[in-house]
Amino acid sequence: MTDAPAPARRTTPTDWSSDAMQRRIAKRYAAERRFKYLGLAAVILSAAFLAFLLYVMVGNGLGGFQQTEAELTIDFPALTGGTSAAAISGENAETVVGSLDLPGVVGVAMESQYGDAGNQIFSSGAWQVVQQKLLADPQLIESEQTLWLPTSSEIDIAAKEDGPPAAERLLAMLQQKDAVQTSFNTTFLTGSDATDPAQAGIWAAFKGSLMTMFITIILAFPVGVLAALYLEEYAPKNRWTDLIEVSINNLAAVPSIIFGLLGLVVFLNWFSMPRSAAIVGGLTLALMTMPIIVIAGRNAIKSVPPSIREAALGIGASPVQVVFHHVLPLALPGILTGTIIGMARALGETAPLLLIGMRAFIPTPPDGFTDPATVLPVQIYLWSDEINRGFVEKTSAAIIVLLAFLLSMNALAIYLRNKFETRW
Amino acid sequence: MAGAGLLFLVLGLGLIAWITGRARAAAFVHGDRTNLNSLPSYHGWYVALFAIVPPLLFLAVWTAIVPALQTDMVLSAPEAASLPMDGFTRASILSEARAIAEGTQTTAFQPMANKFVPLYEAAIAHYNWIAVAATLLLLFAGGAYAFTRLKPDFRARTKVERVVMAGLLVASLIAIITTIGIVASLIFETVRFFSVVSPIEFLFGANWNPQSTVTPGGDNGFGAIPLFWGTVFIGAIIAMIVAIPLGLMSAVYLTQYARPGFRKWMKPILEILAGVPTVVYGYFAALTVAPALRDFAAMLNIPGASSESALAAGVVMGVMIIPFVSSMADDSIAAVPNSMRDGSLAMGSTKSETIKKVLVPAALPGVVGGVLLAVSRAIGETMIVVMAAGLTANMTANPFASVTTVTVQIVQLLTGDQEFDSPKTLAAFALGLVLFIVTLLLNLVALRVVKRYREAYE
Repeated sequence: MTDAPAPARRTTPTDWSSDAMQRRIAKRYAAERRFKYLGLAAVILSAAFLAFLLYVMVGNGLGGFQQTEAELTIDFPALTGGTSAAAISGENAETVVGSLDLPGVVGVAMESQYGDAGNQIFSSGAWQVVQQKLLADPQLIESEQTLWLPTSSEIDIAAKEDGPPAAERLLAMLQQKDAVQTSFNTTFLTGSDATDPAQAGIWAAFKGSLMTMFITIILAFPVGVLAALYLEEYAPKNRWTDLIEVSINNLAAVPSIIFGLLGLVVFLNWFSMPRSAAIVGGLTLALMTMPIIVIAGRNAIKSVPPSIREAALGIGASPVQVVFHHVLPLALPGILTGTIIGMARALGETAPLLLIGMRAFIPTPPDGFTDPATVLPVQIYLWSDEINRGFVEKTSAAIIVLLAFLLSMNALAIYLRNKFETRW
Repeated sequence: MAGAGLLFLVLGLGLIAWITGRARAAAFVHGDRTNLNSLPSYHGWYVALFAIVPPLLFLAVWTAIVPALQTDMVLSAPEAASLPMDGFTRASILSEARAIAEGTQTTAFQPMANKFVPLYEAAIAHYNWIAVAATLLLLFAGGAYAFTRLKPDFRARTKVERVVMAGLLVASLIAIITTIGIVASLIFETVRFFSVVSPIEFLFGANWNPQSTVTPGGDNGFGAIPLFWGTVFIGAIIAMIVAIPLGLMSAVYLTQYARPGFRKWMKPILEILAGVPTVVYGYFAALTVAPALRDFAAMLNIPGASSESALAAGVVMGVMIIPFVSSMADDSIAAVPNSMRDGSLAMGSTKSETIKKVLVPAALPGVVGGVLLAVSRAIGETMIVVMAAGLTANMTANPFASVTTVTVQIVQLLTGDQEFDSPKTLAAFALGLVLFIVTLLLNLVALRVVKRYREAYE
């Protein structure tokens, strides 16, 4: 309360310099600042969550691109009975190398160099690395060789962080001999799913993803674009087109798992298509992606000004020619942007593919669209369930690959939008 | 592989049809196109369409029905008498024999299948011949018919364009077909489920512990109320407590306060949150958030703390939803006419008072619509809850406890090894139907709210 008399307050203008007024103003400005900082905090908190997520994934996953290797000396002439370099080069090299019993050869070499611990040091797939090296360079077999071979996943973990005590002891022993090094893990990029994390790779899942995406895009893109053209350019305004429109909008909002149920019943049970095949996954995802493309396509088509259509009609083009010669080319950049975004969503989709059986253990990359396949997100899901600690970094590394792909797709979409954006 | 070869043959012959049709039209006029009703390429298209569309339609129908015909032919052979009567083993022997005959499998796990391989090979060869002959017949008949109709004044363009229009219509009908397919498949399987388990138990029962064998009339553990509660608890309560304030305040800050440069960078960064695959969120929730929350709960001595908690799944899901809420709020705040904002500022309100008392109330229907859409998204979300929320059906309001949701149970019921007819697998479709209906209603209401609001200022 001020001590100014009440009648004065009614007749004179507000006294801005009075203490009470100043306090009220200060209070309101403080509330204003609080509100503003609250908003800033919300933005920063959301961004911080993203940063934290990326930090955790990169922190966990970078190790997955690296591999610990240990040294192994193999006396090839003694262990393989003096096979010559000529025998393992040429046409039937693989059969000959296959007959050498390399797992046994490598096992003996491990034992002679490290004793009983040999088996625990090296990955059970170490002999496959030896096989590849021999095929790449047959000369190796004619003399004693010192090769760097991948270690078992326990040693790998011990080298990167804290592993089990037994593995730590072995690692210390190796380090003393200077027989351990870290190198880029090519197996992770070229290998397939395996029970041993040291041998597991993403190539099979990646190939499966590419094949599924191929089916998705060749089905969803033409159908989506044609449907968008029909609805935007030709459709009469009646109950039927309303129904089509409503169902497209609804499909865009149906939970993805429902599409999985649809795929399971319709494609697998009614049409008895092969389980866990890229073609069924692609069909299911195409049904999911199509509405996204239709909606993006309609917006792009809508933004082409009517004057273009009228000019084309005016010089005698038919309605179909107007659309395919003029409207579609002008709308295409916008449609492509929407398509890329829809494909990015399909690429990250997991739930519907789980239901149509793409969660099997797939140790070899698929060769055809009907072969059993898995995709990258499902592979991530399967690895995330593994108890073996070595899979934690593989999972995160696969997530890094997936995110890199998605982010570059989204960046491409943004670039296209900026480059081709036209103001009429 | 025979199918792919045939497809290429049809397309190749279609190309030839196009070329001959076009050449014929060009020959009519000797280079002077003004005598021709339609451009030569339209004549080409006319012939090509007549040549390839009927065979393609035929092949589409054929591939759907031919496996049944082949099996019938195999079963009509005398050897079929030795097949076991049991439907399941019978089907698995036959499908194995088919796989070997088609070359997709090399060895039979059931010795009996070997006997049927030659029969299948014969049946496949038999029907392949029919398919090739019928396809070629249709192709040449259609192509020849179209070819004979070409004349200089033939209205090829009109005819071709009519086909194009039909194609466009068919493309847009696919949306309806898909919707019908979803509804039909869900209802079909749900009806089968309700013929075994009573709908009343399913919708109002509070005990979720599904069993493969069902005793009619009794409690079979198909009461879905705990699942509905878990879904609402995670998707509509916890996730929204995170998403609404963060999303709304982000939108307010970015539209009203932020400098253009900051907004230009921050908006796409927040949108990345919506583009991260849900399996990544799920892994993050299970690997990092859930253990941290469990330790936190253990520190506070909260009972029932689990390593798979509703809170972990809900918080991460809320973060995923932030961009949806914020972009809907962004749109509806931007749609409020500037005169209302300017009026409020001119009266001496501060910016925050304008936002709280004028902009947000005016934009409220749009914001509410956005929130409803976000809820519908959250309750249909699968991977985050599958990886972080747990499997035990639990009617609890303790956010640190493990609860399960409709989508988790769908995945759980359908990825086991049980056969397809058991009530357990059918229950997944009943859950799917409920989920479909609920999200559909939420979306319809949300769209209606948004639409009605948007018209208000026009």
